[in-house]
Amino acid sequence: MLELAFFYMFAGLAVVSALGVVLTSNTIHSVMFLIFCFFNAAGLFFLLDAEFIGIILILIYVGAVMVLFMFVVMMLEVNFAKLREGMLQYLPLGGMIALALFIEIIAATGSGVFSPEGIPDPGHAAQSVNNTVEIGKLLYTRYLLGFEIAAIILLVALVGSIVLTLRTRKDVKYQNISRQVNVRPEDRMHKVKM
Amino acid sequence: MTPLNFPLPNVVPLIPEMFVAVMGMGVLMLDLFLPKERKVIGGYLAILTCIIAGLLTVQIGMAETVSAFYGFFVQDPFSSYAKLLIYAGTALAVILSLDYIKNEFGVGEYYSLMLFAMLGMMIMASAPNFVTLYLGLELMALCTYVLVGFQRDVLRSSEAALKYFILGSLASGILLYGISFLYGVSGSFDFATIGAAIEHSGSGAHFALLLGLVFVLAGLAFKISLAPFHMWTPDAYEGAPTPITAFMSVAPKVAGLVILIRVLADALPALNVEYVTIFSWLAVISMAVGNLAAIAQRNIKRMLAYSTIGHIGFIMLGVIAGTADGYAGVLVYMTIYLFMSMGAFAVIVLMNREGIQGELLDDFAGLSKVRPGYALAMGLYLFSLAGIPFLGGFWAKYVVFMAAIEAGHLYLAIIALLFSVVGAFYYIRVVKYIYFDETRVAFEFVENRLMQATVAVTAVAVVAIGLYPQPVINICKAALGGII
Repeated sequence: MLELAFFYMFAGLAVVSALGVVLTSNTIHSVMFLIFCFFNAAGLFFLLDAEFIGIILILIYVGAVMVLFMFVVMMLEVNFAKLREGMLQYLPLGGMIALALFIEIIAATGSGVFSPEGIPDPGHAAQSVNNTVEIGKLLYTRYLLGFEIAAIILLVALVGSIVLTLRTRKDVKYQNISRQVNVRPEDRMHKVKM
Repeated sequence: MTPLNFPLPNVVPLIPEMFVAVMGMGVLMLDLFLPKERKVIGGYLAILTCIIAGLLTVQIGMAETVSAFYGFFVQDPFSSYAKLLIYAGTALAVILSLDYIKNEFGVGEYYSLMLFAMLGMMIMASAPNFVTLYLGLELMALCTYVLVGFQRDVLRSSEAALKYFILGSLASGILLYGISFLYGVSGSFDFATIGAAIEHSGSGAHFALLLGLVFVLAGLAFKISLAPFHMWTPDAYEGAPTPITAFMSVAPKVAGLVILIRVLADALPALNVEYVTIFSWLAVISMAVGNLAAIAQRNIKRMLAYSTIGHIGFIMLGVIAGTADGYAGVLVYMTIYLFMSMGAFAVIVLMNREGIQGELLDDFAGLSKVRPGYALAMGLYLFSLAGIPFLGGFWAKYVVFMAAIEAGHLYLAIIALLFSVVGAFYYIRVVKYIYFDETRVAFEFVENRLMQATVAVTAVAVVAIGLYPQPVINICKAALGGII
């Protein structure tokens, strides 16, 4: 009973904050709503006995990704008036598509495939089951290939972001540190006989 | 705690993938030690990698079907043949880059990203499972986003990359959402298991399945730029460095089509009626958008972008047919398209003029008087793309149209025929510029032996396949093992 109450609290707040992400025009507020949404999603994972994923969600998404988002949003100067300009023009078409998708998703989820009868409740795991160990075992055996590919994707992301941002600009003055360190006194100072 | 005990997975089918991954990192490392004027060695290494990977793929054996890594990887004739096409497409695109990219910053990263993109496509071609499919797709997409925006100081390159990235991420999200519905119904990511689960699912699941199908198809249609999910194509093609445009027009399309066929044949055969209806419409829209919008283009890269959209529309006839002939037709079409498209882009890259490559249609005016050899080759590619009989492109169209007619889609074949006549207009218009107009702009031509060889080889291939298509068709039919 208590669990059910918690489920409805987390799920309801997640939906409300997700709506907040899209509907607020202030980007900072959007990011804050997104953080709140992640917290609630983490709460749902806790209810499913998936503590590891729940904590990872908070640590990585809230702790790292969202802080980065916040930085980006604060550094970009967003013109809110300009953002709203095209809004009315695209609203009829966008609204129609959104409504159609909404009805379809309601119809699909309401058709009974995803009901508790269709997907039996797995119940709670035993106290001795350690989430981290179990995930580690699966990750390095059954899902090894996916794990390795994900590693290469991370490498590509790293290389890609460096390629796109690191470049020498001709109009900026740089300090050549190795030249500064290697400088000798006799190059700089001349003793002149008076 | 018990020690972890598990059988070591069979890594033999993955040897080409592992080799390409190691070489990708190797090129990245080697670049650090090369002086500026010798950075091109990275490019030669990339070409060598494609060739050796091809030999490895053939050596490992193309005939049998082997599943590895707990069913997360499959090697069968279908994937092996697709990989050979991907190697060829990547190697040719690297050859086109050798001269183009030599003065840019980060040459080693460029070739390394191309190899990683190729790795992503290879993984896609061998994916028997939505997890592998998605990871391969993201690996490929991430590399192409960066490569499109590689010329950071060119405004349209950055703009194209940003557009491509945002729309691509949206498409990936849609694909994932669709996969989640299919997973919800079947409880598995494995194509075959999903296929079996759909067979036995009740009518209550039909709507959820349909939604999953639509989202998955929309996500994949974006990757192969099938209209109306093609919006990014003209901008990305125009803004990207020309060798990357050539790369994007062939290799990712092969990977996308192969994985589309695998998803349809293995996971969704029970939804055949639905997806045939969806694809029939998409194919018609694609043919219409591709062939009509291309007429209005003055930039040849944009024109070829719309041409790709049109050709994807034709190729979909093979997928819609859903028979052995249809799927073989898709492979035949991609094989021939590889030569036509790569050849045409090679000529564009060769016509170098201080920062601007022969990009406007006007630039081609009078090419025949300056460089009759290139003019002849370009003419052959364009006639072949238009589907003039007894060139490669004719047989490509013939095979898929016949497959569609035999599968009972006569009306689609007739529409496709009409649009290919419309398409012939804008291809032949370029030929008119080349042969019958006066020269307007003087060009410096890039003198690069490998690139000239590319033009020669692709032109000969287009003619040779046109005169004697049977071997290619037979090879493609043999490559269907594992799918049908």
